[in-house]
Amino acid sequence: MNILNQTGKYFVLLLKVFSKPEKHSLYVRQTFNEIDNLGVKSFGIVAVISIFMGGITTLQVAYNLTNPLLPTYLIGLGNRDTLILEFSSTILALIMAGKIGSNITSEIGSMKVTEQIDSLEIMGVNSASYLILPKIIAVVMMFPLLYIFSVFFGLIGGMIVGPAVGAVTVTDYLNGIQYLFNPYYVTYSLIKCLVFGFLIASIAAFFGYTVEGGAFDVGSASTRAVVNTNIMILIWDLILTQLLL
Amino acid sequence: MIEIKNIYKSFEQKAVLKNISKVFNKGETNLIIGRSGSGKTVLLKAIVGLHEVDKGQILYDNRDFTSMNQKLRKKLRQEMGMVFQGGALFDSLTVEENVRFPLDMFSELTPGEKQKQVDFCLERVNISNANQLYPSEISGGMQKRVAIARAIVLNPKYLFCDEPNSGLDPETSMVIDELIHSITVDLQITTIINTHDMNSVMEIGDNILFISEGEMCWEGNRKEILHAENQKLQEFVFANKQYQRIRDDKIEENK
Repeated sequence: MNILNQTGKYFVLLLKVFSKPEKHSLYVRQTFNEIDNLGVKSFGIVAVISIFMGGITTLQVAYNLTNPLLPTYLIGLGNRDTLILEFSSTILALIMAGKIGSNITSEIGSMKVTEQIDSLEIMGVNSASYLILPKIIAVVMMFPLLYIFSVFFGLIGGMIVGPAVGAVTVTDYLNGIQYLFNPYYVTYSLIKCLVFGFLIASIAAFFGYTVEGGAFDVGSASTRAVVNTNIMILIWDLILTQLLL
Repeated sequence: MIEIKNIYKSFEQKAVLKNISKVFNKGETNLIIGRSGSGKTVLLKAIVGLHEVDKGQILYDNRDFTSMNQKLRKKLRQEMGMVFQGGALFDSLTVEENVRFPLDMFSELTPGEKQKQVDFCLERVNISNANQLYPSEISGGMQKRVAIARAIVLNPKYLFCDEPNSGLDPETSMVIDELIHSITVDLQITTIINTHDMNSVMEIGDNILFISEGEMCWEGNRKEILHAENQKLQEFVFANKQYQRIRDDKIEENK
C-alpha cells in the first residue's frame, strides 16, 4: 500500500516538474549549472573507476582464457564488450546513483527542511519544476557522455593492465577491441543510459522533495533514494535488455 | 487588507486552528502571538497558502484566496513577500543574487534597473559591503535583513514574517522590528508578524491577535494588552516579572 502511495506521489511530482516554466532563461541558466555540477564534475571519478574496471575485467578474461588455442586478442574483445554492454552503463549507473543521487536528495532535502522551497512557493515559483527539471535534463544529457568516456577509459585501463601482467600484447589487445565490433551494442547502451539518467535524477529528487523533519531525515532520505534508484536501475536493465537485444 | 473568516485546520483529525476570524489592516504591523505550539505558524502558513484550510475564507483585498485556482494563486503570490524563521535564503546564491532572484524570475526590468532596485533594498535594510558574500558567511541578523530585502524587492502589497526575531540578540531584534515597522508604514503594506517576543509586541504591535490551543482568545493593540483581562493572555504576557513591572508602571503613568 505504501509503495502504491509513494509511486502515486512520484508521478504527481513529475506532473508538477514537467509543467510550463515561469522564465525559460532562468531554467536554461540553472540547467547549465547542473550540467557542470552533476555532469562535468563527475568525469574525474568516472575516469578512475573506469580505468580500474577495465583493468580488472582484462585480468579476469585473461584468467579464464586458459586454452592455448584461443587467441589472446579475445582478451581485448571480452573487455570491450563487457564495458560497452554492461559495466560502463549499468555498473556506472549504480555508482552514479550514489554520487549524483545522494547529492540531489541531500541538496533538495536540505532546501525543504530549511524552508527554502516554501520560500520559492511564496514567491509564486513552481519549486518542483525550477529545482528538479534542470537536474533531470542535465543528468539525462550528461549520462550518455559519461558512458562513452567510461568505455574509453575502461579500454585504456585494459591496455595498461593486460600488457603489464603479460597477459596480452598491446598490438593483440588493440586488434581485439576492434574485432567483430557491433555498433548496435553502443546504441543499446546509450538508450539504457538515457533511462538510467532519468531514474537517477527523478527518484533522488522525489525523495529530497518529500522529506520532512531535520538533518537526520535528510540523511535517511538520501539512503532510501540510493537504494530505490539502484533497484529501479536493475529492473529497467532487465526490461530494456529483453526489449532491445 | 487581509481578512480571515472562520478558519479551521486539522492534521490527522487533530484540530490545530478552530474558527479564527480577523482583519489585518494595511499600513499596520499586525501581530499573531501565542505560546509555542499554539498554532501561530500553521495560521500564518494557512494565510499564505502553504497549508490548505479545511474550512473558512481568506480574503486579500476582497479577493478570495481559498477559492482561487493555482494559476491565480501564483499571480497573487507575486504580491506577497515572506520572511521565514531561519531566513530561508538560497545557500548557493550570494546576498545580491538572493535579493535579485524574484526580479530575475518575474520582472522585465533591464539588468541596470534590477541592480538599482537590489541596491535600494539592501540599503533600505542597512546592508553594505556584503553583496558578494554567501548566506553562510554573514550573521543571523544580517541574514534576516537580507531576507527582508528579498521580500520587499518586488514591492509587495503583503508582507509576512514568521518569528523574525528568533535566535537574535535583543538589540538586533529591535533593529529588525523597527525595520519591518518602518517598511510597513512607508510602503503602506499589510504586514503580519508571527511572534512570541514580548518586546516586539510592546514596540510595534499595532493590531494583535492572541491565539491559544488553536483558538482565538483576544485581539487588540499594544496599549490595550496591558489592561487585558483575558486569563490566558495575562499568563502569556506577564509570565515574566519584568513585564508585570512594566504593566504596573504604565498603569501608574496613566493615572
